[in-house]
Amino acid sequence: MSTSQIETTGASDTSHLYDGKVVRSSAPSRKKAAGKMTQGTELPKDAIPEVHIPTFIESLFGGPLVTKMKFLPASRSVQNLQIASAAVMVLLAVLTYVVTPVSGTPWYWISSAIGAAWLGLIIHMLVILIGIGAGFWGLFQRDQRFLLISYVFFILVSLRFAASKVSFEVDLLPEGDLAQKVLLILYAICLVMYMELSNGVIRFSMLDTSIRTQEVYVMNEKKILSRYHASLLITPIVAGVVALITLLVNLIVPAIVAIFDPIAAVRMGESVELTSVYGVALGTMIVFLVVAGMFGINLPLRIQQFRERTD
Amino acid sequence: MAWSRKSAMFASLATALYLLGLVLRNQQLVTVAVVLLSFLTYAAFRTSHADVSSTGRRLEDEDFDEGAAFGTLNAMRQLSQPRVFEDHEIDVTLRIQNLSPLSKILEVRDSVPEVMRVKKGANYALMELGGRRETELKYTLECPLRGFYSIGPVAVRVQDTFGLFHREKEIHLYDDFLVFPKMEDIKDAFVKSKVPKIFTGAVNIRNPGEGSNFYNLREYVPGDPMRKVNWKAMARSGKVMVNEFERDAVSDIILIVDSRAMSETGPVSRNSLVYSTRAAASLAQYFLSRRDSVGLVIYGDEIMSVDRDSGKKQLYMLLTKLAGASARGNTPLRVVTNRILPHINKGSPIIIMSPLEDDKTVVDAVRDLRARNFDTTVLSPSSLEFEFDARRLDRTGYEVLKTERDILISELRGLGAHVMDWEPDMLLSTALAGARGF
Repeated sequence: MSTSQIETTGASDTSHLYDGKVVRSSAPSRKKAAGKMTQGTELPKDAIPEVHIPTFIESLFGGPLVTKMKFLPASRSVQNLQIASAAVMVLLAVLTYVVTPVSGTPWYWISSAIGAAWLGLIIHMLVILIGIGAGFWGLFQRDQRFLLISYVFFILVSLRFAASKVSFEVDLLPEGDLAQKVLLILYAICLVMYMELSNGVIRFSMLDTSIRTQEVYVMNEKKILSRYHASLLITPIVAGVVALITLLVNLIVPAIVAIFDPIAAVRMGESVELTSVYGVALGTMIVFLVVAGMFGINLPLRIQQFRERTD
Repeated sequence: MAWSRKSAMFASLATALYLLGLVLRNQQLVTVAVVLLSFLTYAAFRTSHADVSSTGRRLEDEDFDEGAAFGTLNAMRQLSQPRVFEDHEIDVTLRIQNLSPLSKILEVRDSVPEVMRVKKGANYALMELGGRRETELKYTLECPLRGFYSIGPVAVRVQDTFGLFHREKEIHLYDDFLVFPKMEDIKDAFVKSKVPKIFTGAVNIRNPGEGSNFYNLREYVPGDPMRKVNWKAMARSGKVMVNEFERDAVSDIILIVDSRAMSETGPVSRNSLVYSTRAAASLAQYFLSRRDSVGLVIYGDEIMSVDRDSGKKQLYMLLTKLAGASARGNTPLRVVTNRILPHINKGSPIIIMSPLEDDKTVVDAVRDLRARNFDTTVLSPSSLEFEFDARRLDRTGYEVLKTERDILISELRGLGAHVMDWEPDMLLSTALAGARGF
């Protein structure tokens, strides 16, 4: 017996109690099988309650409010987020092309091996274009699956064997170490912000739909949105500064050492390891050891307590 | 601080990219990983800490003004009324206070019983609550089913703006309320006892005596007052005839409600137990309003009884018992009748509300009642009809079980009981009238 068959309307409708389904309070017992029961009679299917378990993708994007729902048409705030996400995605695509040369990618190897290097570049461009296409579709259709595909392609394009030194696809870009790292950080921030903004589109669509279907009541919606917008500005700046400190460890560590031993500092500055990806690893370790220490002494709580006392 | 799946995904991605970057010697991947980790770390820093805590203290209804203080958040709740009837509404006001000087973004969900429907307003709010400010959340609950219910706890969630980390606590603030079964207006007194009680009441018993309602005509016997002579009847018959009147007296009414597990077969809001409790409530109100004495027996896994009494207090007691009746156990009707028969006056009307299923002692129990001259009425809401209406039972099964049921009802009628096969869409008064043959 199908689910639609057991639905009733009017006074007996209990659908509001059980997520759209009319539910019986007890199993059908002997009645169901009366007059036709045999030894092999199975338990009627409608006696087993149906439970919707969110899929993995739904739970990744689903905020705490609603796990599954059809969105209502996008509100102004959601439209703004969609446009911002699309803009960041386009910037990301350009930066990806700039900072990710085709050399070192698997498709470059394969196309070089078969003597058609141009094919590698086409595949490289195609991967970026698929990322953009899936991203646009996912953003404006608000389809989480396409957004995931977009993320995967944007990450896939940067999976390449590379020398430790940074190399770019476009020759016109700055040669200076600091400028290169800033560009790299800008690329990384764009990628993270694209992920966050597109996720925000889904989250705020859920919230907006919940508000309009009166499942949730929102007080001071403008303030909540303005806080989110402020975080969208502040967080990437903070993340960028932390990343810059980490990447510039080959300058910072020798500068500190120079206070005690200038010669050792010069040697350190010329060290290949310190300027390579392993230098970045060292920087990451140092920075995040400090961060771990902050969490260890429960600094966030102490800061908050201090703020509450002073306010 | 709890991680969301999003933050877990970001952290896993960052770790994977970091390790891949080291293996592939790709600074680009390492940079993305570092930015992702920084993003996560900053969000974790920004997530408020220790905003709410729980003491697990349970509040009484009247403690609205005090509330329960938890950390820097206070929650208080007020209900418009502690007792309502089915299908009525209850207004809930939840007040949230932020005692901290810092503003917070809070998700607040006031837990309501799952059978209740929020008709107006919302019990779930997302709010930006300024420092040292308070706000009220108002909503209206529709109460479709009888029972004892509790609203609470209040779940409060504080999270960062990106939804990466959150802290969640429950404020153990509870408010209990009672939903009585709804009552139908019954206009006629169709249950009349043959045994009078000492006190004169409003319900007529079917014995002649000094009452106000006409009972019969009989021939004059010396000593009858002249005002009782029916002159018209005398003119017709040529004999001196006098009017007889029914004796006015209070009768004991015993209501027996079947709350065995199987009585809840059918939709949640439309099953035998729901119908039985509504019928019992309506009958109780009717008889008590006539100054009768009403007793109640509810049997399921145990036998609960409310002794016979009259008045508004008795009605409240009966409604409370009916509100709390839950479908459990399988006590046979005969066990119930055997236990209560010694304690009730012979001839008292007994009204049994039962689907009459899965109980082989029904016939014996009714036979016992009839043998002792109890005026027995059986109101039987059929779970077959509920299940057939809900298309849980096919035609063949329905016909087979319906035949079995009809045979049982015929047998009970043969014993002299008034039995009504109560169909789901039939009004109680109609069902009762059918049972009594009026």
